[in-house]
Amino acid sequence: MTTFAELLLNGVSLGSVYALIALGFVVIFKATEVVNFAHASLLLAGGYVTAVLHDDIGFWPALLAGVAGAALVGAAVEFLVMRRYRGRDHSVLAIVTIGVDILLVTELTRRIGTNVLAVGDPWGDAVLTIGSVTIAETRVAALIAAGLLITAFLLVFRHTSWGVAMRAAAESAETAALMGVRLGRVSLGAWAVAGGLAAVAALFLTVFPTPGLERSTSLAAMKAFPAAILGGLDSTTGALVGGLTVGVTESLATGYQSDLTFLGRGLGDLAPYLVMIVILLVRPAGLFGTKELARV
Amino acid sequence: MTAVPALEVTGLTVRFAGLTALDAVDFRVAPGTVHAVIGPNGAGKSTCFNVLSGVYRAASGSVRLGDEELTGLPPHRIAALGVARTFQNLALPPTATVADSLLLGRHRLTRTGFVAAGLRLPSALREERRHRERVREIAQFVGLGDALDRPAGSLPYGAQKLAELARALCMEPSLLLLDEPVAGMTADERRRTAAVIAGVRDSLGISIVLVEHDMGVVMRLADTVTVLDFGRRIADGTPAAVQNDPAVVRAYLGEDAEEPS
Amino acid sequence: MSDAPGTTVVAGRGAPPAKTALRPAWPPRPRTYLWIAGSVLLLALPFYLDRFWLQAGLFAMAAAIGAIGINMLTGSTGQLSMGHAFFLAVGAYGYCAFAGDGGDELTGLGLPTAVAAVLAVALAGLAGGLFSPIAGRLRGAYLGIATLALIFIGQHVLFNAHDLTGGFNGRDVPPLNILGFRFDDSELVVAAIPFGSAEKLWYAGLVLLAGCALFARGVLRGRPGRAMNVIRDHRIAAGVMGVPVARYRAAAFVLSSMYAGLAGVLLALVFQRTVPDYFGMVLSLEYLAMIVIGGLGSVAGAVVGAAFVSLLPQVLTRYSDALPLVAESGTGGVAPGEAARYLYGAAVVAVVLFLPGGLIRLVTRRTAPPKHPDKPTPGTPGPSGEER
Repeated sequence: MTTFAELLLNGVSLGSVYALIALGFVVIFKATEVVNFAHASLLLAGGYVTAVLHDDIGFWPALLAGVAGAALVGAAVEFLVMRRYRGRDHSVLAIVTIGVDILLVTELTRRIGTNVLAVGDPWGDAVLTIGSVTIAETRVAALIAAGLLITAFLLVFRHTSWGVAMRAAAESAETAALMGVRLGRVSLGAWAVAGGLAAVAALFLTVFPTPGLERSTSLAAMKAFPAAILGGLDSTTGALVGGLTVGVTESLATGYQSDLTFLGRGLGDLAPYLVMIVILLVRPAGLFGTKELARV
Repeated sequence: MTAVPALEVTGLTVRFAGLTALDAVDFRVAPGTVHAVIGPNGAGKSTCFNVLSGVYRAASGSVRLGDEELTGLPPHRIAALGVARTFQNLALPPTATVADSLLLGRHRLTRTGFVAAGLRLPSALREERRHRERVREIAQFVGLGDALDRPAGSLPYGAQKLAELARALCMEPSLLLLDEPVAGMTADERRRTAAVIAGVRDSLGISIVLVEHDMGVVMRLADTVTVLDFGRRIADGTPAAVQNDPAVVRAYLGEDAEEPS
Repeated sequence: MSDAPGTTVVAGRGAPPAKTALRPAWPPRPRTYLWIAGSVLLLALPFYLDRFWLQAGLFAMAAAIGAIGINMLTGSTGQLSMGHAFFLAVGAYGYCAFAGDGGDELTGLGLPTAVAAVLAVALAGLAGGLFSPIAGRLRGAYLGIATLALIFIGQHVLFNAHDLTGGFNGRDVPPLNILGFRFDDSELVVAAIPFGSAEKLWYAGLVLLAGCALFARGVLRGRPGRAMNVIRDHRIAAGVMGVPVARYRAAAFVLSSMYAGLAGVLLALVFQRTVPDYFGMVLSLEYLAMIVIGGLGSVAGAVVGAAFVSLLPQVLTRYSDALPLVAESGTGGVAPGEAARYLYGAAVVAVVLFLPGGLIRLVTRRTAPPKHPDKPTPGTPGPSGEER
């Protein structure tokens, strides 16, 4: 029972980190209808900046720099690439993000090489013990940070003019433009915010018990994709629920790995995708996604 | 010759997230007649078409074509029953040639599958040749005989709308749904399109349901008219009767009702 | 299905069906000469190229087959797939499992290799078919995300199903043997050139590629291709025109899986060993890069893009000393493989932004007939119409 509670708690914490990534992904989709396959590389960029700077300028400034860096990369991608596309086919734009992803990941993995970069977080490998349940401090920090950021984001999304503009653009870009919404700014903002959220997530994907930032960190970040789509690509609620589902699934599958050896090693990395498949079979638009009116 | 069945719409209701787009609408289209559905913007005309062609699901009510109930069927099954439609905003791939678009209209009448097409089996080639001939006839019928090999997107707007009408005709339908067939056309194109539609009715004997804002065209072509306003049927009858209906005049508030021909 | 009501009436109004003006078969067009010259060149290459380039060429052919397949799905039907590396793996490992004789203590049915190759392609198709409940219902980029699952499932199985795949170390690929003709390094001298596996496979690859390209062209220009294109361009119109959209999406997915399976078989035969690392995410991205760079929806484009993306690293490796910025791997500079990824990553972005239609558009734009600027007036046959 204790094991289960620990796994669940870890899963929720991990899930909240995935939710951060998925939220950014959904925000870009809502604002621009683009599925951003370069999302994992935004995360890697943020994590990389934090990792290389923390020795010189200290952890917190480095984290801020990471967030700013990833936001900048996101904004640059939007401004230099996405905005230049003249066609209307959003699947083609999704492929452009794949090209961007290839470029960013190649550059970052070349820089990282075979190293494992520490991010210099203040928590180290300290653990908290509550009753019989033991949990790493990093996990608690992740849960709190993700919770705060998500709440802040949702408040902004509901109540500021930028949030309103974004939601208007999500409803109908054309109408929003006619109402005076500057679509360019909305989309630029979405990419920057998504980058910033991803950079925070990068921190929590690379702290204890993970050894640090390495090439494969982007693979871990990709679990935000199933999170976003099983929740429903156009739903912020979906991103949260999806993130938690993926986190808990991964945590449980990894934790009970020893009881499931017949399924092979590394089950934790696979399980989220299997859950996604099952959910898509039942609900093609995801748990909270808008079901299309058209029956085609 | 297959007999053209009647279309019977009863109590058709459509709701989107609390909004009632169509509210218990009834009308009947007798075989071989032209029936117009008119009404101000947002009256539910296009929604009505989307239900008839299976794109939207009805909340309640029934749409019967002869003995077949259409409301439960997906679009491709409805198409298979001989219901063809055009779209208010063009749905014609701009880079495909007109001939290819029209051949697409033959989809339900042809059988060539992946293997036959890939291997270019004689059956596939024969079928393709035969249907290309028919497509040419239909293109000439609407006046696009010499535009067959051009990309649809290179044609003027009016010609593209005609191409879409031709594509629907290529399905050899028994019921043809035309969503604003003359919208955006020049006066000359309007006249031509109206002539084509009249020709279709007279020569093919199929039923046509028409959504149109151009009252001139409606009055000239329609045998019967249904008027919708805010999803409700406010009038139904012959063009002359509907035109003088006070409810209709009120709904239009002098917009289109002032320019009947 | 013969024509429904009204044939006579409509025909009565139009002119009698006119014959399309056919080009005389002789003299052939310049394009035909180009084709002949290209074919002769390709057939002669094994006599002149060394093994390195022949292998590079074979990779390109295998990639071209896979790219044609995924282009039918993504380019022509508008359905994104990130999971094609999975189907390549099914083809490659399927072939090994069907053809293997169990000598290496891995599962092997010991079937004749030609049969094994066919079965491997069928197996890839079956795997694609199993995914059809999702491939049929999800569209565009949504499907792209869902197919990520295939990559992870594939990697998991490849690393864990030791008896079948050999795990991390992979397994040996039995050489192809068609009716006693062995595609291995056994001695065969043609015109004083010793023919090894690369030379022999070269011709097998050419035949397969030509067959796959022609089949794809037939599909795309025929009834299925028109249905696929309208699903991409106007999904709702497709349904209304009587195209069962989900079924066609699933069918396109299966077909492209089979092409990927065949590409996997050919790759395995060229590599002579299959390893799980190869069939990862990067491979799927490469295939998408190929079709975007070459030209979405075009068979020739897929071939051009495949050649570009798969030959690029080989060229960079071979000439790394002569190229600035590119260093041998492990020396700290940009390795040839990385340089290639920068180039095709940038090419994907550049092509979409500045050259919609891909590299193939550069070729066809030159040879395409000039467009008639005159507007056709509906109803009046133009002066150049066939009613002249």
